Amino acid sequence: MSGTIVLALRLITALALYGFLGWALFFLWREVQRQGVSLATRRVPGISLSVRHGNEPPTIKHFAQPEITLGRDPGCDIPLMDDTVSTRHALLTYHHGQWWLEDLASTNGTLLNETPVSMPTVITSGDDITCGSMHLTITLSPNLVIEPTQRLEK
Amino acid sequence: MADETQSRLLRWATLVLLIQSTVLTLSPAVRERTWDVDYRLSHWLGFFVWLALMNFAHRATIKLLPERDPYLLPAAALLGGWGLLTIWRLDETFGLRQTTWLVVSTIVFTLALYVPKNLSFLRRYKYVLLGSGLLITALTLLLGTNPLGIGPDLWLGCCGVYFQPSEPLKLLLVIYLSAYLADRVSFRLTSLPLFVPTLVVTGLALLLLLVQRDLGTASIFVFIFTIMIFLATGKRRVLLSVFFFLALALFVGYFYIDVVHIRVQAWLDPWIDPSGQSYQIVQSLLAVANGGTIGRGLGLGSPSLVPVAISDFIFAAIAEETGLLGTMGLLLLIWLIVSRGMIIALRSADRFRRYLAAGIAAYLGIQSLLIMGGNLRLLPLTGVTLPFVSYGGSSLLTSFIALAILLIISNVEDSEPAPLEDPKPYTFLAGTLALGFASVALTCAWWAVIRGPDLLSRTDNARRSIADRYVQRGELLDRNNQPINITQGESGTYNRIYLYPNLAPISGYTHPIFGQAGLEATLDNYLRGLHGNPSSLIWWEHLLYGTPPPGLDVRLSIDLSLQQTTDQLLGDHVGSVILMNAQTGEILIMASHPAYDPNKLDTEGDALASIPSAPLVNRAAQGLYPIGNALLPLIQAEFGIVQPTESELENFYQKLGLYRAPSINMPVAFDSQHKVVKDLKMSPLQAGIAAASLSYQGIEPAPRIAMAVNTLQQGWVVLPAENQPVEVIQPAAANEAALAFVIEGKPYWSHIGRATVDGHLITWLIAGTLPDWSGTPLVLVVALEENNVLLANQIRSSIFSLALNQ
Repeated sequence: MSGTIVLALRLITALALYGFLGWALFFLWREVQRQGVSLATRRVPGISLSVRHGNEPPTIKHFAQPEITLGRDPGCDIPLMDDTVSTRHALLTYHHGQWWLEDLASTNGTLLNETPVSMPTVITSGDDITCGSMHLTITLSPNLVIEPTQRLEK
Repeated sequence: MADETQSRLLRWATLVLLIQSTVLTLSPAVRERTWDVDYRLSHWLGFFVWLALMNFAHRATIKLLPERDPYLLPAAALLGGWGLLTIWRLDETFGLRQTTWLVVSTIVFTLALYVPKNLSFLRRYKYVLLGSGLLITALTLLLGTNPLGIGPDLWLGCCGVYFQPSEPLKLLLVIYLSAYLADRVSFRLTSLPLFVPTLVVTGLALLLLLVQRDLGTASIFVFIFTIMIFLATGKRRVLLSVFFFLALALFVGYFYIDVVHIRVQAWLDPWIDPSGQSYQIVQSLLAVANGGTIGRGLGLGSPSLVPVAISDFIFAAIAEETGLLGTMGLLLLIWLIVSRGMIIALRSADRFRRYLAAGIAAYLGIQSLLIMGGNLRLLPLTGVTLPFVSYGGSSLLTSFIALAILLIISNVEDSEPAPLEDPKPYTFLAGTLALGFASVALTCAWWAVIRGPDLLSRTDNARRSIADRYVQRGELLDRNNQPINITQGESGTYNRIYLYPNLAPISGYTHPIFGQAGLEATLDNYLRGLHGNPSSLIWWEHLLYGTPPPGLDVRLSIDLSLQQTTDQLLGDHVGSVILMNAQTGEILIMASHPAYDPNKLDTEGDALASIPSAPLVNRAAQGLYPIGNALLPLIQAEFGIVQPTESELENFYQKLGLYRAPSINMPVAFDSQHKVVKDLKMSPLQAGIAAASLSYQGIEPAPRIAMAVNTLQQGWVVLPAENQPVEVIQPAAANEAALAFVIEGKPYWSHIGRATVDGHLITWLIAGTLPDWSGTPLVLVVALEENNVLLANQIRSSIFSLALNQ
């Protein structure tokens, strides 16, 4: 009799041990889930760029994504159709709560407010970026938060 | 979120240990199979202290480290509590000490949480920390002691409190290397600034440990150094060269350092010397095998058979009592700590903390792998502790400080991790450790499940004789159900009693130290209940108690009243007597003198084997004597008065079975050396089987001594003879020969033979009932190691008058 009771207790011990491990795995999964959701809902402040080329009227583009590429390649987020611009010329990224400008080893270089950009540099509203002969003006709109498109859940 | 996770997991850990403690409390009742026992209660002190301490630590982490990793503390708490209960179960004195150390460790752990969160002071005082660590370790060379009294002097201490400085030294080395490497920007492998100071410091520590013969800690130092340099440089050639260095060190050590030689030898082939050099590892494997899949239950195995089960072999103790299920869980718990440590390393905000976290995770992982692999014969044995689990204040304290450092590093509030040039070393390290844990898991399954049953049936498995104390062994009875060997006492104190010691050379003994002999050995499977019981019952009893079911009684063909007369007649003379049913082969008398008293084995057992008259030998079945002219009646029956040639005689002896062992369920001997006919020897049993043919139509019976076994379901079941009767002589010739040797006025024939061995005379007597005897046909053999025809004839007359007039 005592043997049977203790056998049951031994099995329950094993169950409890794996209960611990099961919960640990469950919490790990929840952590992954939460991390994913929190990254997905992290808000990128809107950024507007007005592109000027010669005397043409400026074109203005709005973005809500954390990475914006500039270059002659049509796949770039801001295609700059000019021979003085490299295929992939410069990159704007949002991290550490800031927008950063980075030159992607372009032929003619990138200027930020007339200064050549040699390393990732923080930009603010009103800054001028020059890629070859193209000029862009940055407008940051922290209040204008554009919700990123999310897949609709059933 | 982190708080909820941590408290939920701690509640599960508490549940595991609560049930474990209950099992331990009830374990004496299961062992002795009665509720009327002294229950084990002292370990509850350990459990409640653990519960209070972990609650305290849990609250402290919530208050001080709101963003910490929530898995580390519960996993470490469960490991620590599991180890604590196992130590209480093995040894209550050490259990109490470990509980005290747990109090100290938790207090230090909580205090450590108050240090500045960037741990900069560790970085600043790296040389001071490591230097003082080395100094204290060096002190053990002068003042070292060993609390156990034997082994290397690695401890400092007095008044019953001991500390092993090489334990915290491992952590100090990790801190020093992290600080040093984080201060260097360039990581060129060949750069001297990278190598020289670290190598000098590590080399110094290694030298110290080698002088102390603390080889386990020394190898962990080599691993820590390698891993830290590998993490900093990302070059695999570091690992390769150190692997080569370790192999070389093992090779050199194998030939020049005794400890290494012994350990490697025991690792490569433990089965050569299982009771000496490889005793520990063989006992450890037996413990793992006894655990099987679900384990014996806490308090129900015999883990204390493994030396130093509380520290070096605690993994084997846990494997025995919680089985493969438990060890898999244990491995996953350690892996949880190691893998979370690696993640904390990758998430940390600067290089110093990254190296520190990765180093600590690797140190905990490597040390666990070394000792678990050593316990399972996957790696050579190195005497290190299992972090958090093993007994040892220094080990426990160091583990909890390491845990505190990991928790502090994990407590980052949403800051960006430091950049990482190359993720490969971290991936590689984590992968290698995972592979190591998987190998340990597979090896454990191999010993516990696949090789387990084979290991457990080894005769040096002391669990068999422990089980004998708790399970009633079957009785040996004579043909009229008179008890011969019985088991008395209660569960826990069962003891074998030998009611008729004169039969000892035949019936043998079963003893925890001297093993088994005679019928007790050959019928062991019945007497132990492993044969004759349904396999489901055997399985169930093993599951519940880890023992075989109660043993079954075996009835022998011996007739105790005839046996008694024979023993009186034989007295102090050296020799043997067999009386056998010539038709069925049942042995009614088997006497061998001198005998011994198996009830006195405890005191006289050692001396018995060296007595010149060899009382342990069953002279009737194992004594070999020259044939001389003992078989004259049979030769006459086969060849008449013609003298047979040597080859004819050899063929005849072959037919009679003198060249092979008789098939009977007891230890027997036959002459396997002398192929020349004139030198051939035979045992009285062989002579009896051959002579039986004259009393029963020229047919040799199949000898039998174990007649029947008393099973639970079918009652007495007959044990068949192991052989078939064979006709060896023409029936008519046999009858004629028997009549030629008749004793006037008696219903039996008889023949006295003589032989000499080394100048001593042997007296043979073979006799048997006449072919026309209407009762049971009987055959008698007497072999005396002296020239005493008178005694032989007297035995014959007395036995036949008793046996035939019944």
